[in-house]
Amino acid sequence: MRKFILRYLIPRIIQYLTLIFVGITVTYIIPRLAPTDPVEAQVSMMIARGNTLDPQSVESMRAALTDLYGLSGNPVEQYFAFWGRLFRGDLGPSLNNFPTPVSKMIGQALPYTLRLLIPAVVISFIFGNLFGALSSYYPANRALNVLEVVGQVVRSIPYYIVAIVLLVVFSYFIPIFPFSGAYPIGTRPDWSSIDFILTYLEHAALPAATLILVGFGGWFVGMKSLTSNIISEDYVVYAETAGLSKNRILVQYIMRTAILPQFTALAMVLGTVFSGALIMEVVFGYPGIGSLAIRAIYNNDYSMIMGITIYSIIGVATAVFIMDLLYPLFDPRVRYQ
Amino acid sequence: MTLLSVQNLHAYYRTEAYGISRTVRAVDGVSFDLFPNEIYGVAGESSCGKTTLIKVISGSIKHPLKAFEGSVNYNFGDYKVDMLQISQSELRRNVRWKRISYVMQGSMSVLNPVRKVIKTFEDIVDTHEHITDKNEFLQRTRTHVNRLGLPTDVLNAYPHQLSGGMRQRVAIALATVFQPALIIADEPTTALDVVVQRGVLHMIKDIQATSNNTVLLVTHDMAVHANVADRVMIMYAGRIAEEAPTESIFNAPLHPYTQHLINSLPVIGEKSTKASLKGSPPNLADPPSGCRFHPRCPYVMDECRTVAPDLISVKERHRVACHLVKEGSQ
Repeated sequence: MRKFILRYLIPRIIQYLTLIFVGITVTYIIPRLAPTDPVEAQVSMMIARGNTLDPQSVESMRAALTDLYGLSGNPVEQYFAFWGRLFRGDLGPSLNNFPTPVSKMIGQALPYTLRLLIPAVVISFIFGNLFGALSSYYPANRALNVLEVVGQVVRSIPYYIVAIVLLVVFSYFIPIFPFSGAYPIGTRPDWSSIDFILTYLEHAALPAATLILVGFGGWFVGMKSLTSNIISEDYVVYAETAGLSKNRILVQYIMRTAILPQFTALAMVLGTVFSGALIMEVVFGYPGIGSLAIRAIYNNDYSMIMGITIYSIIGVATAVFIMDLLYPLFDPRVRYQ
Repeated sequence: MTLLSVQNLHAYYRTEAYGISRTVRAVDGVSFDLFPNEIYGVAGESSCGKTTLIKVISGSIKHPLKAFEGSVNYNFGDYKVDMLQISQSELRRNVRWKRISYVMQGSMSVLNPVRKVIKTFEDIVDTHEHITDKNEFLQRTRTHVNRLGLPTDVLNAYPHQLSGGMRQRVAIALATVFQPALIIADEPTTALDVVVQRGVLHMIKDIQATSNNTVLLVTHDMAVHANVADRVMIMYAGRIAEEAPTESIFNAPLHPYTQHLINSLPVIGEKSTKASLKGSPPNLADPPSGCRFHPRCPYVMDECRTVAPDLISVKERHRVACHLVKEGSQ
C-alpha cells in the first residue's frame, strides 16, 4: 500500500495538478495577448450609448472596472491575484450579465448539462460497445448488420443535423415532444413534483436521443474494429476449440480485452461533458453550459469563456486521473508501481 | 485395438471467387492407425498438410476446408464416433477435452491476457463438468498442476508474468485436466530454446507414461521425434511418404525424402557439410504428377513421373510409398 501511494498515486497526483496548472495558465495568458482592452471596451461602450459622463466619473469607473477584471498592477501581480481569486472560487463577474458572478451562472447551467449528458454518454457507451462486439462475433446476423448500417450512417452525419432532423420530425410533423427548453416557459423548477419531473424528462428526450444515437454509432464502429482483430487471436480460437460457450467467449475473451481502449475514450468524453454540447444545446434551446458558452462567445464575454474553459480543463484532467487510477483494475498488464 | 483409424482421407481447401474455383489438396489419400498408449510423431516440412490433418481428426473443420472422401473413426472403448459425421454439439459435449484435447501451435498466446491462469482452467472445467464445489475444483487443479511439476503460483499469475516455457507447460496442463485418451500436440516445442524444449518434452513423455494415453505429436523437428516418438509418420505434399517405428525409420530410412531429412540432422563430431534438397515443397493447388516427390528426388525414374506409388508394407509396421522399394523387400 505504501508502495502504491509513493510510486503510483503521488506521481499521478503531481501530473494531474501540473496539467491543471499549465492549462489554466495558458487560458490566463491567451486573452491577455488579444489587442483589445476589456476596460476601454466597456467604457467606450458606455460612452457610445450616449451617457454623458464627466471625466472624473469616467476615471473612477475605469479604476473600478480595472480592479474588478483583475487588471490592476503588473502582469505578475495580476497573475498571482488571479490564482488567489480562483482558489476562493471567484471567476469574476460576467461582462455580459454584469455584475452576476460567472461561477453562479455556471453553477445554474451545469446541472442541466450534466443531467443530460452523463446518462446519454453512459447509455450510448453500454449499447454501442455491446452491439459492436456482437456484430463482429456474429457477422451473419441480419439485425446486427442493419444496426451497423444505422450506426455508420448516423455517425457520419454531423450531430446538429441529427438534432434538427429529430426536432422537425418529432416536434413538428409528429408533435409528441416539446420544441425547446428544459421545462415549459413560465414554470419554476420544482423537483418535488412528479409532474415537473415528467415534463423535464419530456424536454430532455430529444436532446438525449440525439446524443445517444450519435454516440452509439461511434462506440459501435470503434468496438467493432477493435473486436474484429481479437476474434482471430490465438486465445479466442483456443477457447472455441476447448468447447467454451459462445457467451463466455464473447464476454470474457473478446469484450474483456477490446473494451480497454474504449474506457480511455469514455474518460475523455466524460471530461468534455463540462464544456457542454455546444450546438446541440443551441438547437434545442437547452439552458446548459453549451448555450452559455455560445452566448459568451457572441458577446465577447471573456470572463465567462475563461470560466467555462477552466471547468472543462479540470473536468478532463479529473476524468483522466480517475481512469488512470482505475485502469489496473480492468487490465492486469498495467500494474500499480 | 485401434484408438483412431483414418482411411483414405482426402481433405481439400476449396475456395470459389467470381466463378473460379481453386482446390488445395492439403491431405490427399492418407490412411493410418493410432493405438492406445503410444506417442505417434508426424513430421514433414511446412505446408505438407500436417496441420490440416490435425484439424480434420480433431473435428475442427471449417470452411473452406472440407473432407471429400475417407473416414476418421475413433474407438474410445465405451464410445465410438465418426469424426466426419459428428454434430457440433455432440463434439463439444462428449469429445472435446474429455477424450481429445489439443495443444495448439503457438501455445504461447493461447491464454487470455487479461485473466489469471486459474480462470482459464475454471472456464474449461466448468464447460465440461459443471463446477459445483469451488474449493474442490481449486484443490484438484492445484494437485494436477503440481503433479506436472509446475508451482501452484502459476495459477494465480497472469499470462504475461510467465515465461514462454512456463506458458507452454500451462497449455499442456490445460490439455490434460480430464486425462483424455488422445492429446494432439501441434509444434509444442517450436519457438522454445533447447533447454526449455527438453523440459517440455519430458513433461509430455511423463504424462504419457503415467496416464497411458496416446499423444499425436506434430513437429517438423526430426530431433524431437527421435527423442520422444514411438512411431513416426513422414508426410510429403499431403501424402504419407513413410511410416515406421522410430528406431527403424532413423536406422534404415527407405524413402529418399526420409533419408534426406535424417541426413540433415547434425551429428556431434561430424565435419562434412550438409546437402540440402533442391527446390521447395510443391504447390498443393497444382501438385506434380506421379510421385509428388519426383521433381526433387535424386533417384527419379520414368515410372515416378507418371505413376503415384502405393503405400506398401515392407516389414511389420513399416510402410513406405516409393517405386524403389518393392513389397516384402528390404
